[in-house]
Amino acid sequence: MGLARTLTIRAVNLLLVLFLVLFLVVIIIGATGTSDKILMAIVRQEVSTYRQAISRTITDPEALEKAVETYKQELIRAYGLDKPWYTRIGDMLRRIIFLDLGVSKSLQTFTGSNRVIDLIVERLPNTVLLVTTATVVSFLIGLFVGVKLATAIGSRLDRALTYFSAISYALPTWWTGIIFILVFYFYLRIFPPGGMYSIPPPEDALARLLDLLWHAALPIIVLVLATVGSNIYVTRTVVINIAQEDFVMAARAKGLSERIIRWRYIARVAAPPILTQLILGLAGSIGGAILTETVFGWPGMGLLFYQAIVSSDEALILGLVYVFTLVYVIARFVLEVFYVILDPRVRI
Amino acid sequence: MISPRREALRIFFSSWVSKIGIALLVILLIFSIYALAAFPPEYGKLVWNNPKAWENYPKSVPPSWVNLFAESKYFEHKILESREPVTFRSPDGAIKMIYYFDLDYDADEFPKFFSMLIKDVTYWKSPPAITLRLLRPDGKAAELASFMVSSPREGESPPYTRYREEPFILKIDSDVNVWRSLSSFIKDNYGLMFSPSEIGRNPERFIFGSPAEGNFSTPLKGRYRFEVSVTAYDGRDSVGRISLILGGSVYGLLGTDVIGRDVATGVLLGFPTSLFIGIITSVIVTILGCLLGIIGGFFGGKTDEVVQRTSDIVYNLPLLPLTIFLIFLMGSSIWNIVLLLVVFGWPGLAIVTRSIALQLREAPFIEAAKSFGSSPWRIIFRHMLPQVTPFIVAQMIFYVPTFILLEAALSFLGLGDPSLPTWGQMLELGFRNGAIYLGLWWWIIPPGVMIVLTAFTFVLIALGMEPVVNPRLRTG
Repeated sequence: MGLARTLTIRAVNLLLVLFLVLFLVVIIIGATGTSDKILMAIVRQEVSTYRQAISRTITDPEALEKAVETYKQELIRAYGLDKPWYTRIGDMLRRIIFLDLGVSKSLQTFTGSNRVIDLIVERLPNTVLLVTTATVVSFLIGLFVGVKLATAIGSRLDRALTYFSAISYALPTWWTGIIFILVFYFYLRIFPPGGMYSIPPPEDALARLLDLLWHAALPIIVLVLATVGSNIYVTRTVVINIAQEDFVMAARAKGLSERIIRWRYIARVAAPPILTQLILGLAGSIGGAILTETVFGWPGMGLLFYQAIVSSDEALILGLVYVFTLVYVIARFVLEVFYVILDPRVRI
Repeated sequence: MISPRREALRIFFSSWVSKIGIALLVILLIFSIYALAAFPPEYGKLVWNNPKAWENYPKSVPPSWVNLFAESKYFEHKILESREPVTFRSPDGAIKMIYYFDLDYDADEFPKFFSMLIKDVTYWKSPPAITLRLLRPDGKAAELASFMVSSPREGESPPYTRYREEPFILKIDSDVNVWRSLSSFIKDNYGLMFSPSEIGRNPERFIFGSPAEGNFSTPLKGRYRFEVSVTAYDGRDSVGRISLILGGSVYGLLGTDVIGRDVATGVLLGFPTSLFIGIITSVIVTILGCLLGIIGGFFGGKTDEVVQRTSDIVYNLPLLPLTIFLIFLMGSSIWNIVLLLVVFGWPGLAIVTRSIALQLREAPFIEAAKSFGSSPWRIIFRHMLPQVTPFIVAQMIFYVPTFILLEAALSFLGLGDPSLPTWGQMLELGFRNGAIYLGLWWWIIPPGVMIVLTAFTFVLIALGMEPVVNPRLRTG
């Protein structure tokens, strides 16, 4: 049962990471007084709902105020706002783990909810769609081009791509995005400046899909450009190193075709380190998504994060940090499963 | 026998990549030093981020070299500053100081606005009289404006200072008296009738226009001269500064942004900040990461366990969301940014150096050193560190662009240090003001190109280092 055990250990490790982030964040927001602000926002929201509810039954304004005030004090006690922040750590942790993330003070979902979790759930699929597509495309290009290049070290194409990788490493995703909008929207008018669908979106399902692709093209190209350079470069370096191993020479001596050597002997052994590169790039992709979504107005979690920063929305920022970490941990686990399947040596 | 260090340098400098990288680095350093020398440290707070300092500059205009490609020439924004006046003394004791301003006019359009600024007038007896005269290329002259500096207030004693805090501004576009003078000037000299209110719609047209077709619709090219004469009544009276501002539709090397700031100045100011954050963070991260890695790898046991666990966890955090969150709570000062980049940056190196140290620990020469009774620290610094130095230096250089780009990204998200102008912040302002959708390319392209170029410089140097560190990649 090597596989299951290895994966369990990985999962426990990642959960530990998640929990530590959570604990750290809760301590920080407690110590800086941010948690008070977030809880007070919830209290205010509940108080105003309560006021509306009872104003129909209590007509005397004074009695109404008094009832509202009593209710408010009750809530403050219930949320522990009358006690110092460290007494609330456990409560806060439980709240966040169960995704009870409070209310946003500045943003709403399409259906009008201002609960942080509703906002995030509405935006999450858009981010997953964008990042997954870009990562897969970038990985495949990196693998094929990298392996090809490794067998042609020093060729003109190899040198050109070495420079391209270097430039791509130095290119800030968001600036590339800005330049793309300037060129492809402002000057050439062939791509939209941002968003996910045209306004109003097309009715027909196929037209809708095409419209989505048209809007997603630029952000995906930008995200791929940002990562494909290092993917190609890492693949190339790994493959060069493996190509000099004895077993490859033995395969050549046996007279196997270059194709078989390249894809069965080298690529198979090169896959785990390349996957490692992908795992390491994951955190970067999440960061890239925040910036790319902001530039292209792509309605995902990244744009939501930017909007939360601009409007200093504490509860929303906190919720997003947690969900980003959660998504990251899950994505990371999926990649590690692949890794364990690809490289039997890491099984315990 | 060639020393290993010299050999490493030879390999490094044998590739073009390294040469270009080092050349670019020298250029970046020259610009940074120039920026630090030419601008006081408070410039960012007091001037750059102070919209009042940029009032006299045109807003969102392209660079002046677009004139090279334009069919009709734009008027380049001009700020004419006074030089030493020519002084005359008349027999009645009055002193006349005349300031000359020359302007060679060759644009095909009129200035957007025209104003005169006077700063710091000091007088002792009676208030000086100031007049503004215009001399056109066709030899005709007009007195555009004439006024007195305000008289002493009750209880005020000499010397009387005026316009010290707030300069006096004469705006031709909103000054009816100037329009009247222009109206009679045109009637007397060209025999054309224009009412003052007609002139007021665009007075620059009548100052710089050609009467040829009777409507002043095209500029009269040639040399214009403006004379500002100050008549004073005491030898000690003085005028600080007089400037004439002609609003243009192109400006400087890289144009201006929405506040009127010179983009070229902003780009220049970005050099030291960007290099500083990139290099300092990378150096600290490298030192910290390598030390912890080597210590963990060498000592093993509990120490190693702690280092490894911590680096594992920190390494597995999503960097950008957490950095954003923490900067948001801690405030965006350059030191907070460096601190957070260090806190999240060190584990990668610690993990790699640890594995190297683990291998080195078993090497025969380390065993030998141990058997001589060398202390652990001596072994680490004397025998192990030199072995990994090329690798550490390469990593250090390789990390610089990462931090430069991260700082730029934070700035772009509005979390940059507000007292320091950075390229990321320029782009943020441009993005928020819709510069892309309006096609203000001069505001968007230069700061981004500088970020890419700076990061790229270090990537090139790191690439040049690679054959030094990894002999398998050496060619020839």
